[in-house]
Amino acid sequence: MIKSKYSVLIYWAMIIAMLGLFFTNDFGLVDIHKTSVVVAVGIDTEGEEVILTAQVAVPQPSQSGDNIQYTEVQGRGLTIADCLNEINSKTGFYPKLLSCKLILLGEECKSEELFRVLGCFYRRNYSELTAQVAMCKGKASDMLSMPATISPENSTAMQRALSEELKKSANVSSVNLKDIAFSNYSVSEACYMPFIEANIQGTSAGGGNGDHVGGDKPQQGDSGGQSGQSGGSSGSSGGSSEGSGGGQSGQSGQSGGSSGSSGGGQSGGQPVEFTARKTAVFSGGKFAGILDESQSFALNLIKNDIRLAVVPCDTEDEVHYTIGLKQAGGGIKLKVNDGVPELTVSFKAKAQIQGAKKVMQPDSVKYDDSLKPEVLKAVNDEVISRLQQLISFCAENNCDVLGVKQLLHKFNYKYFEAFEKDLLTRMSVNYKVDIKSLN
Amino acid sequence: MDTMFMVTLEKNIKSVKDVLTSQDIIVFEFNSQEGKKFAAVYADGLADKQLLGELVVKPLKTARENCSLEEAKGILASPEVKDGKKIKDAVNEISDGNVVLFVDGEKDFLIIGLKNPPGRSVAEPPTQVTIKGPREGFIEDIKVNLGLVRKRLKSENLKVKMLKSGKRSETAVALIYLDGVCPEGLPERIEKQLAANEIDIVPDSSYISQFISKKPRSVFKRNGTAEKPDIFCAKLCEGRVGLIVDGSPIAVTVPYMIVEDIQAGEDYYTMSYRSTIIRIMRVAALFIGLLLPALYVAAQLFKIQIIPFQLLLKISSSVSGLPLSPSVEMFLTLLVLEILNEASIRMPKYVGLALSVVGALVLGDTAVKAGVISTPAIIIIAFSAICLYTTPDLVETTTTLRWIFLIIAGSIGTFGIPLFVAYLICYLVTEQSYGVPLLAPFAPLVKNDLYDSMVKANMYSLEARPQAFGLKNKVRLKNK
Amino acid sequence: MSKEISVRQICFIMLVYTAVSKFIFYPCELSFGSGRDLLFAAATDFLIQGIIIWAVSYLCSRTDKTFFELIEGTLGNITARIIYGFFALFFILCTVVPLFEQKLYVQDIFYDTVPSLTVFLPFFIFSIYAASKNFRNIGRSADICMPLFFVSMLLIFSMSLFEVEWDAFLPILKTPLKSVFGGSLTTAFRFFEPCWLLMFMGHFKYKEGDAAKITLSYAGGAAFVLTVLLIFHGVYGGAAATRQFAISKISLFFPAIDVIGRIDLISLYVLEVVMIFALVINIQLAVHCLVKCTGYDNRPVFSLIVNGLLILVIVLFNNNLSTIHKMWSNWFWIATLVFANIIPLAAWGLRRRTEQ
Repeated sequence: MIKSKYSVLIYWAMIIAMLGLFFTNDFGLVDIHKTSVVVAVGIDTEGEEVILTAQVAVPQPSQSGDNIQYTEVQGRGLTIADCLNEINSKTGFYPKLLSCKLILLGEECKSEELFRVLGCFYRRNYSELTAQVAMCKGKASDMLSMPATISPENSTAMQRALSEELKKSANVSSVNLKDIAFSNYSVSEACYMPFIEANIQGTSAGGGNGDHVGGDKPQQGDSGGQSGQSGGSSGSSGGSSEGSGGGQSGQSGQSGGSSGSSGGGQSGGQPVEFTARKTAVFSGGKFAGILDESQSFALNLIKNDIRLAVVPCDTEDEVHYTIGLKQAGGGIKLKVNDGVPELTVSFKAKAQIQGAKKVMQPDSVKYDDSLKPEVLKAVNDEVISRLQQLISFCAENNCDVLGVKQLLHKFNYKYFEAFEKDLLTRMSVNYKVDIKSLN
Repeated sequence: MDTMFMVTLEKNIKSVKDVLTSQDIIVFEFNSQEGKKFAAVYADGLADKQLLGELVVKPLKTARENCSLEEAKGILASPEVKDGKKIKDAVNEISDGNVVLFVDGEKDFLIIGLKNPPGRSVAEPPTQVTIKGPREGFIEDIKVNLGLVRKRLKSENLKVKMLKSGKRSETAVALIYLDGVCPEGLPERIEKQLAANEIDIVPDSSYISQFISKKPRSVFKRNGTAEKPDIFCAKLCEGRVGLIVDGSPIAVTVPYMIVEDIQAGEDYYTMSYRSTIIRIMRVAALFIGLLLPALYVAAQLFKIQIIPFQLLLKISSSVSGLPLSPSVEMFLTLLVLEILNEASIRMPKYVGLALSVVGALVLGDTAVKAGVISTPAIIIIAFSAICLYTTPDLVETTTTLRWIFLIIAGSIGTFGIPLFVAYLICYLVTEQSYGVPLLAPFAPLVKNDLYDSMVKANMYSLEARPQAFGLKNKVRLKNK
Repeated sequence: MSKEISVRQICFIMLVYTAVSKFIFYPCELSFGSGRDLLFAAATDFLIQGIIIWAVSYLCSRTDKTFFELIEGTLGNITARIIYGFFALFFILCTVVPLFEQKLYVQDIFYDTVPSLTVFLPFFIFSIYAASKNFRNIGRSADICMPLFFVSMLLIFSMSLFEVEWDAFLPILKTPLKSVFGGSLTTAFRFFEPCWLLMFMGHFKYKEGDAAKITLSYAGGAAFVLTVLLIFHGVYGGAAATRQFAISKISLFFPAIDVIGRIDLISLYVLEVVMIFALVINIQLAVHCLVKCTGYDNRPVFSLIVNGLLILVIVLFNNNLSTIHKMWSNWFWIATLVFANIIPLAAWGLRRRTEQ
């Protein structure tokens, strides 16, 4: 009875304490009223300082819950954490990064150690490792403030440009924060991320739908690291072009034939479209260059599961075809034969004509829609050519973005020490591309 | 009071009237054709006057002048006649609705079972409605209820022990069990537990339920209930002991396991696959109803990440500008629900209907429009309420626990929810109802009983009675 | 003596509590110590403990006595009480690191921003209550924890398999053996399961084949831990050493999470219930030892004392997990070696002497 009396007392005391906490409930925590939901962040550097632009969803009172406005808030400091702190002090809202789906690095971040800017996001348990990471042309802050054509908030438009669907069509090499950390901390010490460009509606930085090939040849820039910068030239329409395209003096290889009013902050308020068909690559935590569309395409063929990739090719009789590659699978293997490392780059797919730049007479089209040998050869050559471009880029920049060193480490460990430093230049490369007609 | 009756009729009648002084106690005196005096004493409204005339008065008209009590008993056409000696018995029987017949010159009397108290007829209980299966439900008359049970269990092993409870109400309580099936000594333990409590009146079986519960302060009940004879009989066949209380349409059964409230009568009348799906759904609904308001508050206050991103944007837009914190908002919404619920039950039917409309449409809609509470809060509470009613027998417990979960989530935070769940598990695993663990067959794990727990196996898998009861007679079904 | 716990329940404890107590810091700690070969490091520890668990459970087949009665029969009542006193202290110390880890884990998966210690303190309300319960309660709680564990692990595994790089462990055993076994040694303080069995000895009815069942259950628990390690390293590779709270980080990349939100959190919250019981078992056993040591059968009082001590430790060293962790990984393995390895094996000697 005494025990029961005490337990009743204890229960009452707990209930009262809980009710007290319930109605005051403040552990210094941040509830939904005090939080700003950051949907994307842009990171730029300026000298020693880092500038963080957070795209914040600001809910407006609404019964249906449909009224969301987006705004950009900036903070600056020596570290990302400083920036977040400044945003907090400016807005009175604590920026929660848990819903941050996109981390956009401005072009100036090229000069920084990658994990100086990404480390905070990776280390903090309060931001998700699933956030997509991309580098953009120009300033990230400008990019985040551009109106997008396909979505009211441009971070969503950018995410669409980095979507899984595009990844499966080999158009975009999307990665998340974890993928970058995984690759960067591997023996290859290399990683990659998509390179986003903004194009005013109706124009295209890359020539559209993969048809524009051959123009973006990778070449070593004067700066040593910025090779292969291509595509639409920047600085065509003013805006804050400094530090974006215009700032890349000495860059060679701007041979792209496409119209190119792209780049950070150059839209002049006009809605823009985002494309991410190029890829920024990093080696040893530092920027190593940008893969053009062909090289990015080749990278995606090897790295990703491809559902349907579209590749243009020209046959010997100068007919242009657009070929769809289905049931594709690519990969690399490394063997060491007689002390020589041999890399085998393989790619298999079934091809189908998607379009041709000539009128196809009914009698010239086979009943089963199968490809003629010359078309198959052309597409094979095209794929091999793109793979070659990628491999030579990797060798020239000593950037093991394909993870060849990892293969050496995992499957030929005894040679690892011997080849670790110059593997990419010492290895011989075989291409096994096997593209057959779908029907 | 236990004095013998005097021999003259007038004196006998006076003795009864001295105790039962109310004016609704009728004394009907009549003579046989040969002049023998009789007096029938009964409570007006409880005894069946028509039967009194036909089965008692009419036959007794033929009685001889020196007719004895035994002779009169033989003349009576009523099938339920017994002797009485003490005034206390006479008083009890009259209060109970029976007729007491005095014969002039006899000190003893006859008790004639002509009870016909006002009451409703057998109907389907509102909380255990079935689409397939029997629709008869218990009513307030214990005799009718016993008849409904006996109709289904014709076994000679069906034992009914009539007890009385309530010092003043003297309410009849029938202790029913299947001899040889129910655990040995259990009926005696229940009888003893029942006798240990003395109260003025027992208006309902819930009183009995609390008397026989070993821990009446607990949030968790220790007895099962049955409102339908088919369910009641099935429980008896599983080895339980049943208690039917006069004046209550709800029978009490012990021992009790929580899992039996997840089962419904209809589960046994439909396909086992369907029953299994429905049971899993009930359990899911139970947990959703219990935890959803708490999780919603905890998510808003402490862990926004739980909420999917697009939903989060919608919720934050809905709660933006609300004057109340998420916890207080949910607290008030739940409070309003409880008040509406209470009021709609208590109000007269038509006013109640109007009240539901006022509550649901006017109050809810206006509160949202005025920006006092948000739409998601109303949705969450409404859904929670619906979910909890999928297990109606547990509603008293679950609605109480829902408050506790809400308060814990709003004070400690998200961690409070698994912590309180752990506490409940720790508390419940060793709690028992007459030796049977409340959480059986899950803790302790009784493999055989799992076939009729979360899942409802086919009929042939249920060949054994629940082993958690520790029965000697284990076989329920033999497939020859 | 009434048998308070069944062999089935002991098997569940060995499987479930062994596994969940190693899901938080252990994978990243092992990844840091043993790199890619963390599976070997973990397997070594599990193998040693498995042998000792088999030895203790086999001992249970040879005697009906409790461990206390065994010591009492050989070395006298006072010695038995002293040894149980030391065991109580050992169990309390065993709880310290897991308690700190649990606190951080709770702060991570249940709260968005770093909350104060206050949010974790209610754990002790539960702990005081649970620790005052007997073995019957421990056993039946395990009955409930088992399905919760299986369902949540099934969900977590199925959500995490998408992201695993299965060759992340290659090349096998190329990490210097010193690192591999160094990892084993620094994490050895987490392996105290034989002590649980020692305490349950004599409190359950042994039937033929139960030793194998108990040992296999422990192996099952080990298999779960190794699978988590496999997935964890397969998901994070070289970056695994920097990721704490492994179990909550492996299912993040499930594709549907983008659409329907963090459904993995539901599994983690269910698993948390199991983790709470796994954490409390050491406190319950410490209380059991104190009851035996003092001969004063008032569990609530001892529960208050033990939990009071732990509250004191957690308040005083709130932000010093690294110091505590360092101390424990450097030194506490010695205590673990004595209490969880040597003494259980020595119990065989006690049995022989009791027989003589």
